Amino acid sequence: MSFHHLDHYAAIPSPLTRVPPAARLLGTVTIALGAASVPLAAWPQLAALGLLVLALAAAARVPIVTVMLQRAVWPLGFVVAASVAVLVFVPGRPVAHLGPFTVSDAGAVRFGSVLGRAAVALEAAVLLVSTTSFPQLLHAFRRLRLPRAVTVALGLAYRLLYILVDEIERLQRAARSRNAGAGAASRRRVLVGITAAVLGRALARGERTHQAMLARGFQGDLPPLHETSWDARATVSLAALALAVAGIVWWARAG
Amino acid sequence: MAHIPDGFLSPSVLAGTAAASVAALAVAARRSRATLGEREAPLLGAATAFVFAAQMLNFPIGAGTSAHLLGGTLVAVTLGPGSGMLVMFAVVLVQALLFQDGGVAALGANTLNIAVLGPGVGWLIFRTGVHLLGPGHRRRLGVVGAAAFLSTASVGVAVALELALSDLVPFGPALLVVGSVHLIVGVAEAGLTMAIFALLGRSRPELLARATAPSPAARRWAWAAAAGSLAIAVATAYLASARPDALQAAAARLGIAGPDAAPLQGPFAGYTAPLGGPWVAAALGVVVVFGLIWGVASLAGARRRL
Amino acid sequence: MPLIAVEQLTFRYPGGAVVLEGVSLAVERGERVALLGATGAGKSTLLQHLNALLTPGAGHVVVDGLVVGPDTAREVRRRVGLVFQDPDDQLFLPTLLEDVAFGPLNDGAPPADAEARALRVLAELGLEGAHSRAAHHLSGGERRLAALATVLVSAPLVLALDEPSGDLDARGRRRLVTLLRARKETLIVATHDLEFARMLCDRAVVLADGRVGWDGRFQELLASPLLLERYGLA
Repeated sequence: MSFHHLDHYAAIPSPLTRVPPAARLLGTVTIALGAASVPLAAWPQLAALGLLVLALAAAARVPIVTVMLQRAVWPLGFVVAASVAVLVFVPGRPVAHLGPFTVSDAGAVRFGSVLGRAAVALEAAVLLVSTTSFPQLLHAFRRLRLPRAVTVALGLAYRLLYILVDEIERLQRAARSRNAGAGAASRRRVLVGITAAVLGRALARGERTHQAMLARGFQGDLPPLHETSWDARATVSLAALALAVAGIVWWARAG
Repeated sequence: MAHIPDGFLSPSVLAGTAAASVAALAVAARRSRATLGEREAPLLGAATAFVFAAQMLNFPIGAGTSAHLLGGTLVAVTLGPGSGMLVMFAVVLVQALLFQDGGVAALGANTLNIAVLGPGVGWLIFRTGVHLLGPGHRRRLGVVGAAAFLSTASVGVAVALELALSDLVPFGPALLVVGSVHLIVGVAEAGLTMAIFALLGRSRPELLARATAPSPAARRWAWAAAAGSLAIAVATAYLASARPDALQAAAARLGIAGPDAAPLQGPFAGYTAPLGGPWVAAALGVVVVFGLIWGVASLAGARRRL
Repeated sequence: MPLIAVEQLTFRYPGGAVVLEGVSLAVERGERVALLGATGAGKSTLLQHLNALLTPGAGHVVVDGLVVGPDTAREVRRRVGLVFQDPDDQLFLPTLLEDVAFGPLNDGAPPADAEARALRVLAELGLEGAHSRAAHHLSGGERRLAALATVLVSAPLVLALDEPSGDLDARGRRRLVTLLRARKETLIVATHDLEFARMLCDRAVVLADGRVGWDGRFQELLASPLLLERYGLA
């Protein structure tokens, strides 16, 4: 999976991007939690949540088909594969047969509910990532008080990873040009060698980065550049979203 | 496979695992800072980048399939458990948000499984093994392999447990499907971790020095871990047996001649926990046992030093 | 009193050969010195002593009256800005702005102040448009300038540059020379690039066998094929 597409999520100026990244992240989590909270077979409510996300996407001027739907297809496929077990292993009244397995009514309902919830949460995540650059995400993490070491590590890793990926490609090319054998076993050996080399380079670069940081006065703590402001607009937007989601969940549970 | 997407887990499991993750990461952050000191930032950055990079390399394991290094045990063994957990959390976080690998609401569960349990178990098994079996490169290598395998297997058990506690699938079939996948992945992880560990031992032995420096604290952790794992196993068995009917039906469906005799009714069958469901009881039980053993071991160690 | 005084500096890497053995030299304020020598002669090692990244085995280094050591490291690093060989080693944060603001922030400057200073320096070097981008989106030449920016922002007294003309073409080299000539900082440039050094520096110090082999006017060095030959500079 290529890492380079990360940087293509440039922030498109829109009502959504005027809200600070931390609020956007919390909004995504709210929608995902809402989807998780609707009971089984709550089809209209799941549809409502999905439409809510797509409406937000439209407001953010994110293309619905080429981005929202397309980017969710692959992860959703994975969800389907992972939930096949749900389809056949839940006891209940049999309704269909899938090869040697029996699909029960309870299993079918669960399978559908899982897909519906997963799709809604996926769309929310895709929307977040399409409207938020990586440095902005890091600001959000910092604001939401994730462990400092993690935020710092991600910031450093972001740069280091690009460099490492280039080096991996170079090492792979070198291995290929040396005609390092075709069998699975020899390819494994080559890859193990590359992995170990990458680890060595990651650590060497880490060491040199540390030197560079020391040279610029680093004393152990990475001071943050600026705190992204949390304004009234952020609170209001997030509260409105939370109310909408909560309303849908309440509607599902009351029905 | 280890990453659980959104949609599978119930709100109470999501909340519980999230709470447990937050607590574990807080401890991990303190421990990481204490262990690595002012080199923490660049080291964690390098390790995080490495895990990402390594997860992109696919190793052919025959029959047209390939696996990639997960890295939890490797990072925990080389940097220490706290730092290992932070690194894996960073990876899980970015995978969930940017690659939709693992859910957003399920981040707590995935963190607990892949970033806390995985490295934690891997590290504990490694330290325990090294303590029990002593130094020696080949022995260390074997211990690393076992640690990586058991670490991956424990992730599988945790996933199955969370699925069952969410009332999505019965525990038995969940364990069967998820567990078997994780056993296979565990073998690959063990092989890859051992190979890299061996290469590191030759090219950069100073990195592994931390991995084998003995300390009295490790002894306590080893005892606590052994007792804790036992408690987890026992609690799991009781919880599973709390839904004997589902297990029976599933076993019948799978064609397994189930025990027609009265199903194993643990004392927790039909237990209704005061708040949050049975998982809270299990988590509390584990924490209590863990804490007791740790406390006893600390006292024993302290007395020995006097 | 010279701005930088190196006296009988001896240094050996752990488990390695002696790299510097009794190096002595003095640099006055405002000088532009080229540090020359074959690969492995110890140029980078010497530069890292000026910035307190390395501690001498024997001898000492005095920068602006401060004896370089672990306790004076912070103060020394405020005065000597070291630009490494590989710009990627110095551009390690997600955006250029954060990279350049890193130094002032570590020095205790308030975030708004650090940000303003960073933007100013980036503008000086023609990089203001790239401040919210990551370093890997820049060309090699731009990265070198960005690395320079990360050091210039702290207004050091001395600029120590390690192979600054690395992957620059002739035009890039000329631009860098023009830029550096316009500045008032004391310059110490470790380089293989004689042409670049000639355009920038008046004085040349040649390291050989861990010592200062030659120290004098650059023109004199260039005029002597014998000297160039002896020190492997030709």
